[in-house]
Amino acid sequence: MSDQLKTEKITTDLLRSIRLNKSFLIWMGFLGLAFLICFGAYGLQLKNGMVVTGLGDYVSWGMYISNFVFFVATSLIGMLISAALGLSGQKWAAPLARIAEIIALAFAAVAGLVIVMDMGRPERLLNVIIHGRIQSPIVWDMTVVTVYVLISTLFLYIPLIPDLKICYDRLDKLPPFARNIYKLLSLNWTGSPAQKKLIKQSTRVIAIFIIPVALAIHTVTSWLFANTSRVGWDSTIFGPYFVTGAFVAGSAAVIIAMYFYRKNYGLKDYITDYHFDKMGQLLVLVSLIYLYFTLNEYMVPAYKMKTSEALHLSALFTGIHAGLFWSVQLFGLVLPIILLLFKKMRKPLPMLFIALAVLIGAWFKRYIIVVPTQEHPYLPIQNVPLSFKIYTPTLVETLITIAPFILVLIIITVLSKVIPIISVHETIEQLEENNQKD
Amino acid sequence: MSEKEKKPRKKSRREFLQDLGIVGVGTLIGGSAIFAGINYDKRKKQAERVKVLTAENELLEIEKSDTTKVIKSKLENLTYLQKEGRDGIAGRRFVMVIDLSKCRNARKCMAACNNAHHLRPEQHHINVLKMQESHDTPAYYMPKPCQHCDNPPCVAVCPVDATFKRQDGIVLIDNERCIGCRFCIAACPYSARIFNWAEPIKSVEDEDLTYNVELNVPQRKGTVSKCLFSADRVREGKLPYCVSACPNGVYYFGDENEDTVTNGTTKETVRFKKLLEDNGGYTLMPELGTHPRVYYLPPKGKDYPFQDKDKPEAAEHLGNS
Amino acid sequence: MLKRIIDLRVALTLAVTILYCANDFAANNWNVPVDKKTKNSYIKFDAASASQGEAIYNKNCASCHGNPGKGNSLKSLSPVPPDLSSAKTQELTDGELFYILSTGRMIMPSFKNVLSEDERWRVISFIRSSNKSYVQTLSKFDPNKSKLVKINLNFDPATHNIRILAIANEKSGVVALKDAEVALFAIRYFGRLQIGKSTKTDKDGMANFKFSKDLPGDKAGIVELVAKVNDENYGEIESVTKMKVGIPTDKPALNKDRAIWNVLAKAPIWIIVLYSFGVLVFVLVLLYLLNNLRKLKKTGDN
Repeated sequence: MSDQLKTEKITTDLLRSIRLNKSFLIWMGFLGLAFLICFGAYGLQLKNGMVVTGLGDYVSWGMYISNFVFFVATSLIGMLISAALGLSGQKWAAPLARIAEIIALAFAAVAGLVIVMDMGRPERLLNVIIHGRIQSPIVWDMTVVTVYVLISTLFLYIPLIPDLKICYDRLDKLPPFARNIYKLLSLNWTGSPAQKKLIKQSTRVIAIFIIPVALAIHTVTSWLFANTSRVGWDSTIFGPYFVTGAFVAGSAAVIIAMYFYRKNYGLKDYITDYHFDKMGQLLVLVSLIYLYFTLNEYMVPAYKMKTSEALHLSALFTGIHAGLFWSVQLFGLVLPIILLLFKKMRKPLPMLFIALAVLIGAWFKRYIIVVPTQEHPYLPIQNVPLSFKIYTPTLVETLITIAPFILVLIIITVLSKVIPIISVHETIEQLEENNQKD
Repeated sequence: MSEKEKKPRKKSRREFLQDLGIVGVGTLIGGSAIFAGINYDKRKKQAERVKVLTAENELLEIEKSDTTKVIKSKLENLTYLQKEGRDGIAGRRFVMVIDLSKCRNARKCMAACNNAHHLRPEQHHINVLKMQESHDTPAYYMPKPCQHCDNPPCVAVCPVDATFKRQDGIVLIDNERCIGCRFCIAACPYSARIFNWAEPIKSVEDEDLTYNVELNVPQRKGTVSKCLFSADRVREGKLPYCVSACPNGVYYFGDENEDTVTNGTTKETVRFKKLLEDNGGYTLMPELGTHPRVYYLPPKGKDYPFQDKDKPEAAEHLGNS
Repeated sequence: MLKRIIDLRVALTLAVTILYCANDFAANNWNVPVDKKTKNSYIKFDAASASQGEAIYNKNCASCHGNPGKGNSLKSLSPVPPDLSSAKTQELTDGELFYILSTGRMIMPSFKNVLSEDERWRVISFIRSSNKSYVQTLSKFDPNKSKLVKINLNFDPATHNIRILAIANEKSGVVALKDAEVALFAIRYFGRLQIGKSTKTDKDGMANFKFSKDLPGDKAGIVELVAKVNDENYGEIESVTKMKVGIPTDKPALNKDRAIWNVLAKAPIWIIVLYSFGVLVFVLVLLYLLNNLRKLKKTGDN
């Protein structure tokens, strides 16, 4: 009987968030307005050309491309938490799987848009399909990002099917059209063993398949840089370097999302301190690996100081980028690692701040990878305006850079308003399993 | 002067149209005329005549001013120019030799280039750089066009085949196809490519021009532009704009298959390999494996002093050590 | 003390002036041989020849000398090339101008092998066109005489020599062009490559040129040769001959092979295989998943 009650409580708790309320509307109104402003800035770029940005013939990739790399990076977390941890039997990660998947889907889908924002001729996007050259890393990137978005959608959707049925059954206060959508999407779910088996099989196939796809998406993104002969980009470890960096950014994003879901959706009993503690440990682990790759990436060329590398490295270590470079390493990587080693710091509130620092650091880390290299080409930059030599982003460019973040927030907000962000049926199953053990 | 020129031209156009009426639109020269075009000596006298493709898909040689009348649609002309531009010139392998001992930073090459390709003053297909390798080595001026590499990193990364390498070695950019991703700019180790960040300088005047991929005019906002080895001039057997504009005899241009290059200033034609051999010719950054088609002769025994005012800029990257 | 400085200044100024004048003097002193000074054009300097000359001028001379009368010659050169409408230039005789244009000196290149005699005279016609007080003295030379000249080229594969024979078919009989200047060129895409050095014909009107063994020709090794003969009585005569004297050259197109940078159709096989394989695996997984969803729905129907 108490089991029945518990199940009842779980269902009510996890479905509570699916309703329209005032704070949601205000939040969405704010996001919508902010997005419109940023979209206006993009309109300006379309009209006047990319001259509205601070880019020039030497630094021709700036904040947009940094943004693209950041978005692709953050989206990788879906694979790590849902697939890698899931397959390796880390049960604690199960309630976080859907959060991670929502983040992954939102960031991956928007990453595609970010790269369009960087194009001088966005209306010619179809040329990539009409005249596509499979030798170009951009074509690989567009291919794997598309694949990753599709697979992530299925990865979110397929384990969701039983929950959609529960939504249909339980949310009888919703307007009929909304309930019909739940019914349609739940694909006649009855919970029969045959259906359960199909879901289980499909989820497993995706979980396995998504690992190479996710690795590919960020490795290919790193190849956009590593496949050129440019100082600072011409590196053989860029693939794994980017992938581990992605896990750092993604873990931080998940921790931030966990905090807000727990607080705003009243999920203290489901996203517990234990989960934060575990995520804290995970963040330390991936950060340490990333630190190791970072050391490799900078120490090896700095030891030799080849002519071509010296200018670039001294700009980073002691030159105009030094402040940013050391802040990123210190506040985005070293300090978080040290702090998170203490159990006291692995509590929700401190971790929120640490995760924020890590995420901001992660963004600027991409900037540090993308921009300074281009300020130091092999041949000197001469006979051009000063603005071509040192890249300074403009306000319009900054607004356009913010737009994708707002879009991601909109997608995450909407998704977490229409689906339970912790799997209802899995939580119940877990409960039943635990009972059987007792 | 220009008005003087216009009058007789009108007359000849009428004559031409009469001729056209008599002989009919069938005054056609076969596809072989393309190859005849290479024989520039005969063509010299017909500077005002151009070859166009008619709606019937036949090649026709007409007077330049009549182009618009005969061509049924601009699009067909564009298609013809695109095809011709992508094919390149059979049997040729163009090379450039730049003699650094002759360059005195007159920048006539840059001016001629910007003028021909309708570029802004800060945009450079060719850029004369002030170079110095280390503190004790001499400073020198180095004109730097696109190297037209035989293993071009920029072409490799293009997602849409907008930039391409032709059979004659010239690397071109088709700005009717370019999506403006700027990957080629990022990939080029010679910083040879530029982007049209704003509306090009002559976009209003050029509005009615049919795009010529061998000249990259009209320039288009949001697309990449680059040195073209003056593919349009080269097709007519003429030396590139920069090469013929140089007053100091810096540039040689020619066909590697013929083993000869011609100096743009003195018009002297010499053996290509011997020129390199006698003067210690080299290419830029051979360690990158790009195999440039632009060769340099070292700044040995310069004909001029390196300007004192340019020394700080040349030594900028050397630091204070 | 002050005085000494002033003295020094005077001395310096003097020295600079002398040097400058010397430089100027050197620039003006072309040392044109007397017999060349009096040479006159057989082409009439009129509007037609001037306008043809202008086209040649713009292509070959304008980059340094600028446009006559505009004073826009290239000042950064040393010595500064004169504006050709200036009195200093116009004072020169046609013969002097022709000699300067033909031989060149210091930074002025020689146009002897670049422009034909006809073309050179037309350029001078253009240079004279701005001078209202100039009156031309036409040469009595009859350019039609050059039509009588026949030039024969003969290649000896054993010695790799080319022998040029220049004769004129006068009414009185065949006359060999003695002591005529002969030059041999190979036609290249952008200009003429001179073979050996210019020489003079012997008493039989013959001249020998050593032809290099490594000059590339076309696919069959054929090279288009130009023999240029300049004789006092017959003028300048050119003869174009195609001969199999070069190395057969048939280099493949540079974009023939498969390469990373080539077009899609010429992509390396490994990249095609890898890419197609990746896409194929994805499509299969996708189909499998969609089929599972279809089955799921079907099972629920029952």
